[in-house]
Amino acid sequence: MKRTLTYVASICALLFIWEMASIAVNAINNAPLLPGPFNALSQVVKNAAELQHHFLASAWRLILAILIALATGVPLGLTTGREPTLDRFLSPIIYITYPIPQVALILFLFVVFGTGSGTKVAMVALVLFFQILVSARGAAKNIPEEHIISVRSAGASRWQIYWHVILPASLPDILTSVRVSIGLGIAFLYIAETNAALGTGLGGYINKHMLFQRDRAFAGIIALALLGLILYLAVDGLERILCRWKYVSRRAR
Amino acid sequence: MIEVRSLKIDYGSPGSAVRAVDGVDFTLDRGRSLALIGPSGCGKTTILFSISGLLLPTEGTITISGTPVTGPRRDVALILQNAGLLPWKTVWQNANLSLLLSGDYPKQDAGAVLDELGLSEVKDRYPAELSEGMKRRVGIARALSTAPSVMLMDEPLASLDTLTRERIQDLFLTLWRTHKFSLILVTHDIEEAAFLGQEILVLTERPARIKERVENPEMGGLDYRESAAYTQTVRKLREVLEK
Repeated sequence: MKRTLTYVASICALLFIWEMASIAVNAINNAPLLPGPFNALSQVVKNAAELQHHFLASAWRLILAILIALATGVPLGLTTGREPTLDRFLSPIIYITYPIPQVALILFLFVVFGTGSGTKVAMVALVLFFQILVSARGAAKNIPEEHIISVRSAGASRWQIYWHVILPASLPDILTSVRVSIGLGIAFLYIAETNAALGTGLGGYINKHMLFQRDRAFAGIIALALLGLILYLAVDGLERILCRWKYVSRRAR
Repeated sequence: MIEVRSLKIDYGSPGSAVRAVDGVDFTLDRGRSLALIGPSGCGKTTILFSISGLLLPTEGTITISGTPVTGPRRDVALILQNAGLLPWKTVWQNANLSLLLSGDYPKQDAGAVLDELGLSEVKDRYPAELSEGMKRRVGIARALSTAPSVMLMDEPLASLDTLTRERIQDLFLTLWRTHKFSLILVTHDIEEAAFLGQEILVLTERPARIKERVENPEMGGLDYRESAAYTQTVRKLREVLEK
């Protein structure tokens, strides 16, 4: 109950700050530049069907990009973290390519994948791939050796060591990187969707209305924020199921 | 029977190798117990890991029941310093891990061993929910689950308070007598070596060599700590270590 009240108070504080900012910006410019939260929320209700259509388009692109980044970044990160020869070979490649701003490749991706969803998913997946790869690699490197010795002494094969030790030990760090990836992914998805010609997706929707129907554009921003919130909560829930051992307390003595 | 012959182990690449163990020989008959004691970092654990098959000797041979040790094997169990439990597995999953890895679970499980060690009630808990003493008992349950003929222990009671340590030493002794496995214990604790080792090998500073063999024939009773023989063995070990 107390927790719910804290959440409600936090959202009220955000709406209050937004309303104050709106009043201030509009007064300084003597023009309705920044819509207040209630105008934006009323546009969410008014355009619910259209927003839902764009929301779902953005959501599946983001989820697909996260899944692609996980499917590629986790195995590669864990193996580079644990296999010194592979690490020596791949580390220079990672260090050279990781700092490249992937957004610089967006036009190249349009050329390769066209202006459809492929480019948007590829753009976000590329950004998140590095995020997840680097986290998984670091987590795998830092696993206490005693855990590995413990299963090796029981005759574990290499595959069994990955399955029973390296993956579960790295999972909390991987999920943290997924949380970071959600925010990063939404930012890059917005860029990719606004760069693609007109089409579905909240990025395009926000861009389309930003000049002349700013309250509708802000309704789109609220929808993007909601997308992030839902995914954060989903990752939190997933962590509570997959990493239950992190949440237990010392009951027995 | 465990036979260790002219065991030499080097760490590092051939050009810059550091010798950790330099010509260790001993034999341990089935069902007997041996303690390896020596200064920290002298190479005790290295010897134990090579018997477990985790490390291959640079020179020399190790055989168990006449078969050379070439890797980890099902009839040899290793208990590590902090019990070697995986924090993401429950007591039940940790205790059954060796059976699971060898493909014997669920045909066989560690239920009976957990009962014997009084852990059945906490089988669904995670290691973080257990006291240190309980964690060690789960480590023992995992080691016993495959009914090994050889039990290797690498400072299994380090960092425990005195009373808990003595209680678990008593448990080790009882299990050694009832399960009849051969026991090799690595420790830097003189009292522990005297309580659990029928024979005690005192090792030199690195590289490990055998400095002296101390026989301890009267060990084996839970009241051995109260005896004059125990006090004498402890004194003897202290003298050898200080030499």
